[in-house]
Amino acid sequence: MITLYDYELSGNCYKLRLLMSMLGIEYNTVPVDFYPGREHKSDWFLRLNPLGQLPVIEDDGLVLRDAQAILVYLASKYDPSGTWYPRSDPALLGEISQWLAFADGITGTASAARLHDGLFYDLDVESARAGAHRLFRILDEHLWFGEQERRDWICSGQHPTVADIACFPYVMLSEEGGVSRQDYPAIRRWCDRVKRIKGFTVMSGIFPAGPARAA
Amino acid sequence: MLDTAKTRWHPIAASYDLPFRHVFHAQLLGREFAVWRADDGYVNIWENRCLHRGVRLSIGINDGRELKCQYHGWRYSNRTAGCTYIPAHPADAPARTITNRTFAGVERYGLVWSAEEPHGRVPDVAGLREGEQLALRGIPLNAPADAVVSALTGYRFQPNGRLQGNTANVSLEGSDTFSVALRAYEEGAETLVVFFVQPVDSSRSVIRGVLDAGPQGAERLAILRHHNERLSKLREIAEREAQAAPQPAPLEPVIERVSPELAEMPEMTAHGRKATIRVTVARKWLAADGIAAFELRPVQGLLPTFQPGAHIDVHMPNGLVRQYSITNGPGESDSYVIGVKLERDSMGGSLCMHETVREGDLLAISEPRNNFPLRRDAVRTIFVAGGIGVTPLLAMAQALKNQNLDYEFHYFAQNQEQLAFPEKTALLGEALKPHLGFLPETTAAKLKEILSGYRPDMHVYLCGPGPMLEAARRIAADLGWPETAVHFEYFKNTNTIDDSSSFEVALARSCVTLQVTAGKTILETMREAGIDMPSSCEQGACGTCLATVIEGEPDHQDVYLNDAERKSGTKIMTCVSRARSARLVLDL
Repeated sequence: MITLYDYELSGNCYKLRLLMSMLGIEYNTVPVDFYPGREHKSDWFLRLNPLGQLPVIEDDGLVLRDAQAILVYLASKYDPSGTWYPRSDPALLGEISQWLAFADGITGTASAARLHDGLFYDLDVESARAGAHRLFRILDEHLWFGEQERRDWICSGQHPTVADIACFPYVMLSEEGGVSRQDYPAIRRWCDRVKRIKGFTVMSGIFPAGPARAA
Repeated sequence: MLDTAKTRWHPIAASYDLPFRHVFHAQLLGREFAVWRADDGYVNIWENRCLHRGVRLSIGINDGRELKCQYHGWRYSNRTAGCTYIPAHPADAPARTITNRTFAGVERYGLVWSAEEPHGRVPDVAGLREGEQLALRGIPLNAPADAVVSALTGYRFQPNGRLQGNTANVSLEGSDTFSVALRAYEEGAETLVVFFVQPVDSSRSVIRGVLDAGPQGAERLAILRHHNERLSKLREIAEREAQAAPQPAPLEPVIERVSPELAEMPEMTAHGRKATIRVTVARKWLAADGIAAFELRPVQGLLPTFQPGAHIDVHMPNGLVRQYSITNGPGESDSYVIGVKLERDSMGGSLCMHETVREGDLLAISEPRNNFPLRRDAVRTIFVAGGIGVTPLLAMAQALKNQNLDYEFHYFAQNQEQLAFPEKTALLGEALKPHLGFLPETTAAKLKEILSGYRPDMHVYLCGPGPMLEAARRIAADLGWPETAVHFEYFKNTNTIDDSSSFEVALARSCVTLQVTAGKTILETMREAGIDMPSSCEQGACGTCLATVIEGEPDHQDVYLNDAERKSGTKIMTCVSRARSARLVLDL
């Protein structure tokens, strides 16, 4: 069975819990005391991931780090529908990779601001917030035009992909870092749609949506 | 200086911002709104603040009929913003004072308009025709509205159909404090754009552009992109200039206290039942054999918030006053629908409703009162309706259905034709269990079947003819249902009232002692002394005139209290019940 090295308040760990819940995968967790214990910098954890970052998974002897990499792995291996990471569609794979990198940018800005406000990290919070707003403007515009073209998700096609899962958590947690989403109405609507995907699960700070209107 | 007039209409959203089951986060002149479209299409614009702990309602859940606060689950009704349920107080009906502040809202030109205290209607805009316009993507920017308006007067764009060119002439058609109209011409093509600048705060705005025409298909998208690109450029410059200029302080809207009408006690009157609301009979139809249904719409304004189980007093043209339960589901707040059964031995009430009252007539009604509140924390809820007793239970069942809670709905009637409101009961699906043509003996057997299998945290709600309720309550007690889990409402009190006693009533808070003589009720005696007391049915059935007993032994003659409440000796229905002791002290 998959083992997830997990911290409850980490949006990057939540990405994996979210996708595994949507795919109906069972897994064990090993809690890592990220704060205040700094267990991700302990010797035993650095042997798993020399970068000293969460999350890490172990599956059939494979040890993998990096939330985006793990999303790709899990979807490739465990999604029989092949829609979360469609390996036979090069254009779509390109789009997905592009937005996975974008998700890393969100982690570097919105999540950094949250670490500053919530876990007292010493960093330039104003520049982190400004960076998050710059990315959110781009994402909101992309999603708004997507709605005009009847596209519900970040990438083309009728189904959500790992790109949606990679971007969602730190967008949804941005207010904990002082980054309001009021100016991003298309992002707010997309968040509702992600919350309505079957198997959606919550974490501290991320609330469920109500049911969609029956067609 | 920013014009902060509260009377001026501003756009606060675009229509596309309000899909069903979403809550939009808007702001105007510093004041935040939670904006949501109910499933019936109504656009609600509310103070963005739960009355409980001040949490933003824009993170709440729009279930199509009500908005639920994310924090402690308080529910607020479509239109009225009145609280309908507080999960931490599952047995109580929320007070009417728990009503959020609402703001005017109008959809026009693809935008949603509001104002704190609007004057007149949303103004007509020359050159725009409703339904033909194209609303552009709203552009939020960190710059004050006046600077944005002045930047927009220099906006350059291509007319529809000529997007590839770059030589259009653009003329300024008009502008004022918050809007700019421009027309672009090129080789026979021309397009009008009107920009409305929404003052979000002292240094934040949204540009909401509307074109006079929007073709469908690929060209529509190209037009939207054309303007989005140019407006984004304009935003860059406006934000850079705003950053260089001194930053004005953010606006601080005043969060108003609850309105005096809600917060203060009503005026004292010496005579009883008030009918403060005027309604029109918008529709009258046969809800079943012998049952007339009435849809009552307000003559002006909104009807007050109701909760499932609530009833209203209807003041009839012949001077009689009768109580009818509201059958509406949650959020159905534009009218009240009631059902009236023609009683064989009518004293004139149901006869008047059936034969005299017609569509278009005006009636006076009371505010809704809820003495039959519905818990929503049961593991399973059983409804048992007999005949016209279906009406309050119908409202309750729809509320549980809307929240996906577990319930079953048993409906006893003589025959199929007597099953009322088929269009409403059909929505209950499998949960609806009609029981037709039962005699008293067979009814008892059926009730035993329905009420067997009590588990803790199950609740049953009963409404129907007296003998059926008596039987059901007895059976429930035999089968182990605690009294606190058995809720009931009688249509009327068939007890013979003995009003021969005379005794003294001391009102502890009012510091008054009154003598209640034979033939007079406590309620009448208090009113004669100028002490106001709400009442409704005045026969000991509805529960409105309930008072708390501090001292003395009540002589219960009502059908509202259950046995445990009677035995406790702490409650009394002042319209029919009296005293066994020489003196009664009430907490009034």
